[in-house]
Amino acid sequence: MSSVLTGPDLALPDLHTPRAQVLLAVADDNLVTGHRSSHWTGVAPSLEEDLAFSTIAQDGISHADLWYRVLLQGAGFDGDLRAGVDALGLGRDADGYRHAVVCERPPRDFAFTLARHWVHVHVEAARLQALSGSNDAEVAALAIKLAHELRYHREHADHWFARLTGDDGARGRFADALAVVLPESFGLFEPAPGEHEAVADGVFPGGHPGLRPVWLESAAPVLVTAGLGDLVPADDAQAPAEAAGGRAGRHTADFTDDVWPEMTALYRADPGARW
Amino acid sequence: MTTGSTTVDPVAVRRAVEDVPDPELPPVTIGMLGMVHDLAVADDGTVRVELLPTFSGCPATEMIERDVVDAVREVDGVDAVVVRFRFDPPWTPDRIDATGRERLREFGIAPPGGAVPSPRPEGRPALPLLVTPSPAADADPRPCPYCGATDTVRDSDFGPTPCRDLRFCEQCQQPFEAFKTF
Repeated sequence: MSSVLTGPDLALPDLHTPRAQVLLAVADDNLVTGHRSSHWTGVAPSLEEDLAFSTIAQDGISHADLWYRVLLQGAGFDGDLRAGVDALGLGRDADGYRHAVVCERPPRDFAFTLARHWVHVHVEAARLQALSGSNDAEVAALAIKLAHELRYHREHADHWFARLTGDDGARGRFADALAVVLPESFGLFEPAPGEHEAVADGVFPGGHPGLRPVWLESAAPVLVTAGLGDLVPADDAQAPAEAAGGRAGRHTADFTDDVWPEMTALYRADPGARW
Repeated sequence: MTTGSTTVDPVAVRRAVEDVPDPELPPVTIGMLGMVHDLAVADDGTVRVELLPTFSGCPATEMIERDVVDAVREVDGVDAVVVRFRFDPPWTPDRIDATGRERLREFGIAPPGGAVPSPRPEGRPALPLLVTPSPAADADPRPCPYCGATDTVRDSDFGPTPCRDLRFCEQCQQPFEAFKTF
């Protein structure tokens, strides 16, 4: 992996282990989607949605924070935990991030945001379910805790799915957004580097590829019921080339020239800063 | 009094920890919220406190950690304080005690566990398409914290903090907040 910018006297553990790479992928999906969700703070279509997406953004970034903690603590890190978490979240070069490309896409319009939110939250629910069965006690405990909290996100996403697919005016725009999001979402099921070892060791039962059939089994009937069966991804569907490779650190300009410089600017100006 | 040789009173430590107020809801203490999992006093005067975070996205967590350290340091004989947050067992709202529930209600926040029938007003559609079955709003009804009426509705899943949602009382026409359950 590329370098990590840290404050003085901070020694991070080895981030190349399969466990670390898997947890970076889990955390980074949430961190980057969280930053994209925060776009709506102050400009959402209604006050309720402003609060909703502000909370969703806050939860995403907080969940990332906790996964970085679990990563560090399980790797024997004994330094300042706050400084270590900040270094992981904000100190990596852009190609050190392991999130799926779909997470870094700009919010575009509210339809696109809700389409990505609907997919992301249900894939996340499946992932937390899988991680709840981890043989790593800290990983399992955090997954169980966060799965409880995801309930409100799921209800919010499902509510909007029902509303937008049931409204003649909104339906076309929402379907167009889903048609972009669904293929790109297959980047979420890419394995992190070395993930097969984390799967074999029991850290991440089933791994990211294993989430795909679980998610599709529940999402496909909903799309069909909503009359959007033609959007159900094929069994052999893959992410379009540009939306693949996120877990290996290949990101688009949406990340390298947009989210990444913005979210890391302060940290890079003053590594190790406390706030 | 000489530190290091003083015996630390575990009861005093527990009281100090449990009396720390929630930074966002000062009438409620972390003891009432059921956040205190375990306390241990070592022979060298080091106190270890294990807390269960409520909502993981709660920005008050770090303030609580600091406040607990400050409170325990005031106890006679305490040499050092180590606070650790743990996720097992996961904190849930049923850990809030009766006093905490009443204080929340007085603060205008409907506490969880208020199982009352709540009619679904006209024009509020059910959610027919759910990927994952989850309890609908009317499965988690709350009486109004102001007038006690039970015909209240949940207007939004997300309130001003990660731990609260938004409700409305059809009786006194008052919007209010409710502590989330999960």
